[in-house]
Formats: sequence, structure tokens, C-alpha cells
Amino acid sequence: MFNREPNIDVLFRNGLKDMEVLPPSDVWDNIPPLPVKRSPLRIITGIAAGVAAVASLAVLASWYTRSNNATADRLPELAIVSGSQQAVRVRGTETPPVTTRADITTPVNETISMPAERNREEALTVPDNQPLHLLAQAEMTPVKAKDDNPVSFSPEDVTIIASGYFSDSDDLKKENIILSADENAPQRFMVGASLSPAMGFTMPGQDPGVNELENGESGRSSYTTGLTFGYKISDRLTIHSGIGLASIGQTITDIDVFAGLSDFYSVKSNYLYTVQTASGLILAGNTDLYLADSRNRVASLVSGNMNDPSKYNLPQVGSDIRQVFRYLELPLMLRYKLIDRKVGLNLTGGVAYGFLVDNMAFTGQGSDLVRIGHTEGVSSHNFSSQLGLGMEYNTSSNVSFNFEPVFKYYVTPLSQITGSPYKPYSLGLFSGFFFKF
Amino acid sequence: MQKEKDIIQGCLSGSRRDQELLYRRYAPKLYAVCLQYAGNTEEARDVLQEGFIKIFENLSRYSHEGSFEGWMRRIIVNTALERYRNRYYLSRVDDIDEVGEPEAEPDTDDFAGLEAYDLLNMIMELPPKYRMVFNLYAIEGYSHKEIGEMLGISEGTSKSNLSRARVILQKKVALLTGVTRRMVNV
Repeated sequence: MFNREPNIDVLFRNGLKDMEVLPPSDVWDNIPPLPVKRSPLRIITGIAAGVAAVASLAVLASWYTRSNNATADRLPELAIVSGSQQAVRVRGTETPPVTTRADITTPVNETISMPAERNREEALTVPDNQPLHLLAQAEMTPVKAKDDNPVSFSPEDVTIIASGYFSDSDDLKKENIILSADENAPQRFMVGASLSPAMGFTMPGQDPGVNELENGESGRSSYTTGLTFGYKISDRLTIHSGIGLASIGQTITDIDVFAGLSDFYSVKSNYLYTVQTASGLILAGNTDLYLADSRNRVASLVSGNMNDPSKYNLPQVGSDIRQVFRYLELPLMLRYKLIDRKVGLNLTGGVAYGFLVDNMAFTGQGSDLVRIGHTEGVSSHNFSSQLGLGMEYNTSSNVSFNFEPVFKYYVTPLSQITGSPYKPYSLGLFSGFFFKF
Repeated sequence: MQKEKDIIQGCLSGSRRDQELLYRRYAPKLYAVCLQYAGNTEEARDVLQEGFIKIFENLSRYSHEGSFEGWMRRIIVNTALERYRNRYYLSRVDDIDEVGEPEAEPDTDDFAGLEAYDLLNMIMELPPKYRMVFNLYAIEGYSHKEIGEMLGISEGTSKSNLSRARVILQKKVALLTGVTRRMVNV
């Protein structure tokens, strides 16, 4: 007739209420100090200092690059084999800048609601005058715990401080609290390494000459690798910076390269050949090479009647030319946790400043690579932006792995050739691991 | 004795001494809660450690409304549940024959002679999924619907697990009190 609460429930609830058991002594030693709550002003100041540091590094690097770049001298008498000089576009595969992830852990936001108030049961009297040895003789079937440790809980193992009844407290109201299960809130700093392969794409341009040049080129595999540092602003938002190396470039196909020309021909010039590409003009500073092209992209100082490699019996060292541009990138990224679990989902976005540190063209196969020269007209610095959405896997509270498809777009053109503001975009896969502390 | 509010404020200010004071004051009671949910002392220690870390991390969110001990207890329980969810799955329902039919509910007089740590031991010996449901329903007072949401099980599973937990505990209590009564009467 009446919904009476089972006595077994009452027994355990009242019997365990206010029970106290002395915890192991090493637990407190493993609890880290509570960090001092940082004021928003300190956070803003920290971010401003980071931005200032990145900007300072960029200015220094730009100054260093400009002071070491060789100035290209045009050939005084350039005989164009065929074709005409036209505005060119840079086509290259782009790689996303180095980004770092946010934190770790398996934070779960949960709502815990207190139970509805229930009727107070009469307190169950548990006499405490029973001899302990009587309880020790109880025939209870031992049950092994999952880790095979015996579950038995004899009086010698614990120190009972107090035990008594459990009854509803008026203070235990039903309320909702949002818990941030982020175990790593104290771990606001992180370092990591990353590798991001990518493929670049370009929009078809208006210039037919550039389009024709691009038809004779193919994208090279590109990548970005580097070190990243991050600071956790809040439970879900992290700011990242770092330093990385991005390698992009393309392959100019159907150009035969022969070595040994210097034994038969020499000029008083730093360059013997030029190759017109969508990225700029390759100046072949290696005067030992002979270049031959069927698409009228090569210009040379070598006179027409000597423009035949068979006359010199030169060995061929390559059938294409590979352009490689390496940028040192300083990214500034924000990472926001959309799903904060052991396997989480992150949204990243930000900008990166890159400055050119290496510009070379080479040919050959495997370990037999022959340097040809460098490409003129490539921008010495650039700004790019990127957006990514990917997965984060927290292997522990300190280590996590990230895999994020990233879309990258260059805000500033990669080529300085007048009339060819080339701004490529790329799709890559950012992969990295991070250590939080 | 230092007031609770002052201790909390000291913790937020970064005082390690106040943090330890807070820990020493509430750890014994919360450790008993950890033992209820963990099933063994090692797991209980991890739950206590992890739970206190979360308590300190979220201390600034305590609104000073309601019992501070109750607030901490909820964090400890949530920590235990989180660890449990990462390790166990509740999809399988045990065969009812393994548990047996429920016996007639014992009278309150039959509980004479039981000590608190006996009760704790019995709960710790329960299979994990029975232990969780029994703790949440009988001790914490959650409804089956709430338990289902917290553990990712259906209400029916929660009810059946609770029923089986009670059967097991009743048998253990009967076994223990029966021995005790016989010895007392000797």
C-alpha cells in the first residue's frame, strides 16, 4: 500500500553516512599546488608580449634574409630561344604553417543533479559494542576485484575515525553544477612537434602565357615541420606559436640537363641559362650545365651553332628541374576545443608570417642531385592564413596527438613579378604530438 | 578552528597550507566515498587524488550556496563515475540465475551487529555495475532515469542492476548477521 524504502537501502545509507577512513599518506603528496587565479589583465599582457616577440623575430629574420640574398644580374645579351617575356604566376604547392594543438585530457562537462529530497527514515541503531573478532569470523565469499587484488577489508587495514547514520541534510539541495573535468587546467603550457604534408592548388589565371607555363609544371610534395609552443588561455581556448620550416615548390618537366659544358664553353657571366617558370625566372648559376627545352622556356647566352649537346658528347644528368622554396614560418594560432574528451575535436585558425630562407633549383635523381641555380621574383616574405578542423587524441594527461585537415591560403602573393599576384591555397594534414606541463 | 570560508579563500589565494588544511579536514570522509565506488583501495586512492585535484581546480566556481562538503562529494562521485565509464561497459545484463531470487526482506533487527566497515566491504565486493547503481540509487538518492543518463544505460538496466545488488547484499547481510546472532546467543 505504501512505497516503503527497502530496509537494505536504509541500512547501507545510514550505516555509511559520516563514515571516515584515513586515506593513504602519499595521496596529498601527489596533489599539485593550486595555481593562483590569473587576472584577465595578466592574460592579455601575456598575449601581447607573445605577439611582440613574434613580430620582433620576424623583423630580425627579414633583415637577415635581405642582407644575405644574392642580387641577380641579368645576362647582358639574352637570346630568347623562342616565346616572349610575359607576366608569370607562381604556382606551387603550399603547406600549412606549424600549428600546435591545445590541451589534453578527457575533460567532460557534466551536469550533476542532486537527488530529489526524500522522506527521512528513522535512524537505524547500530550498536558498536560487538566484538571485532566476531566480525572477522564471518563466512563471506571473497570476491576478487578486477585487478585481482583481494577486496577484503579487514579491521587491520583501515582506521575507522567515525561511523554513524546517514540522513538527508537540508543543505543538500538539488542543484546543478557544471564540472570541468579538464584534468590539465594547471598544465597551461605545452610544447610539441609537428609534420604537415600538403598538396597545393591554384585557380586558373587570366594570363594565357602563365597558364601555358603551368601546363609544363607539376606540383611537388610539400611539407611543414617545426616546434610549437602553446599557452592555455581557458579550458577550451589555447593560443599557439612556434617556429617551423615550410617547403614548397614545383617541378618543371621536359627540360633536359647535361653536365660538362664548362670544358667546352665559358662566358664571363654568373649565369649561362635562364628558365621561365610560373613561379619566376630560374637563373642557372651552374655554368657547367647545358639546358635544352622543347617548349621554348629556356634562354641562353650560348650561340645558336653551338646549341647542340651532341657536339660535346655531354652526359645527361636530369630530365626536369625542381624548384624548392623554404620558408621559416612564425605562426600565431588559436585552437578551440569543440569536443573536450579523450578523443576530441578541435577548431584551429590563425595567421603565419613566413620569410624565405632557401631558394634553389636542382636536377638529378636520388643522391645524385645537381644544383642549377635559384629562382628570381619570389617574394622574400609572406603572410598566410589557415583554418583547420581535426581530431585530438589524448593518450595521457600530458601527451596528446593531433590529426587535422588544414586549409591554407596565402594572403600576400608568393611572386613579385608585376601583374602576377599569385595567392595559392593548399589542403594538408597536420599531425603532431604535444607534451603538456 | 579556522572557518571553512577562510580556508577556501586561502586556497584560492594559493596558500599551500590552507590547501592541506582543507584536504586533511575532508579527505577521510571523501575517501570512504571513494572506497564505496572504487572496489579496491588502489582505485579508491586514485579517485581521491584525482577528485581533490578537480576540487581545487574548480574551487573558484563554488558559489557558497549549499553544503561545501556536499559539493565536494559530488565531485568525488563524478570522478569515480568518469573513471568507471572509461573502464567498464554496462551493456551486458547478467543472467538472473547467477544472482538468484530475492529473499524476503530482512527485518531491521537482523542488522544488529553490523559495523560500518562491514557494510563498506560488502559494497566493495559487489560487481562494478551493481555497485555503481546501488551507490547512486540507495546512497546518493538518484533516480533510475538520472542513473541511466550518468552511466549510459537504460532505466530498465538500472532497475535490474539495483535489484540484483540488493539480492547480493541481503544474502551477505543475512550470512553475516546470522553468524553474529549465533555467536551472541552462545
